[in-house]
Amino acid sequence: MQAGGISETGAGARLTGVSCRLGARQAIDGLTLDLTERRIGVVGRNGSGKSTLARLVCGLIAPDAGTVRVGGVDVASDRAAAIRQVGILFQNPDHQIIFPTVEEELAFGLGQLGQGRDAARQGAHAMLKRFGRAHWAYRAVHTLSQGQRHLVCLMAVLAMEPRLIVLDEPFAGLDIPTTRALGRYLDGLDQQLLHISHDPAALTRYDRVLWLEAGRLAMDGPAGTVLAAFTEAMEARDDRTDLAD
Amino acid sequence: MIALTSPIETPWHRLPAGPKLALLCAVTLGLVLTGSLSVQLGALAAVAGLYLLPGRDFARAGLWALRPLIPFLVVIFLWHWFTETALQGAGIAARLLAAVGLANLVTMTTRLDDMIGVLRRVLAPLRRLGLRTGALEIAIAMVIRFIPVLAIKGRALTEAWRARAKGRPGWRVVAPFTLLAIDDAEHVAEALRARGGVPR
Repeated sequence: MQAGGISETGAGARLTGVSCRLGARQAIDGLTLDLTERRIGVVGRNGSGKSTLARLVCGLIAPDAGTVRVGGVDVASDRAAAIRQVGILFQNPDHQIIFPTVEEELAFGLGQLGQGRDAARQGAHAMLKRFGRAHWAYRAVHTLSQGQRHLVCLMAVLAMEPRLIVLDEPFAGLDIPTTRALGRYLDGLDQQLLHISHDPAALTRYDRVLWLEAGRLAMDGPAGTVLAAFTEAMEARDDRTDLAD
Repeated sequence: MIALTSPIETPWHRLPAGPKLALLCAVTLGLVLTGSLSVQLGALAAVAGLYLLPGRDFARAGLWALRPLIPFLVVIFLWHWFTETALQGAGIAARLLAAVGLANLVTMTTRLDDMIGVLRRVLAPLRRLGLRTGALEIAIAMVIRFIPVLAIKGRALTEAWRARAKGRPGWRVVAPFTLLAIDDAEHVAEALRARGGVPR
């Protein structure tokens, strides 16, 4: 494993004048961002554009205006190069795991990077070993617990060695010990992380936090400052919940 | 639940997938072509032997996977009993059990990606015609992956219904279940795109 050093390698994500419409709603509205810090958090209310931002950075959707580049690659159009730059961990592992057994799930991504069948299988086993889960190789995915399936997703993403990993609320629905264990794995990663969360506590030690509001930046800065302002604003808004309207 | 590759390592796991599938085809065809009861019973005994050789636990897992066959066997046998061709019925039942048993044995001892590898070789001529067979290959894996997922979703939907209704849900959950499946499919399509899309 190599140490981080994102800024020196010139990687990171760059959004230039990005707008994205989802149906009638302007989900992202003219966002320009240079994301080079190793640990970046994203907070915001429901519908503020957090998940749309995640999908744009991964190139899963194309912006209506502007460009999204990760490590210099246009992630929406150059998919073959994009999957070497950026990976994503979704909220629900059952929306992410494509194959019925753990080994196949991990080997799939490596095959997509052009590795042969045997090399891909070996890579899958090496990743399982790294997490002390060699015995999971032939397990059927549906026999694993929710937390275990989350770990499978993380290993599948890591196996492809992207430089940036986007986390779309990876802790939703997990109990406290599992959240902590998964959090420790994430903290130990060399990769750059873009972590979307509803829980400010998960981001306290991050280098930078973005606060989104209606597809625009409400605030952008060090974790301490942004999270304190965000928490205060959310608690002052008891009368204007997501349930009103 | 779909019986996947057995975690109990057997000698049959080590045989390559292609010849195993070819042999399965040949034996099944042979069983259909012959009318002799002794051949059917012999085949059934041989298949039972193949199950028993790796050990009791493996044989039990195999037998468990063959449970869905029971109603068919009962109906076939009863029909032939009433039409006074019981012997013929026994032959058909033995043939069915031997053929499905052997197919299940191949499933239990062959990795899914090896099975898909065989399919890929068989479909090679179609690829030369310019068709993308990758979609078909990945679809097989996804069906096996998502049947248990959808079963859980279906159960949750039924429970949500029963929590607020007196009777059983019946056909009225079909539409919401379909929408749920489509929603899931959209998410999975996104996950597939995140990792490079459908292979060629």
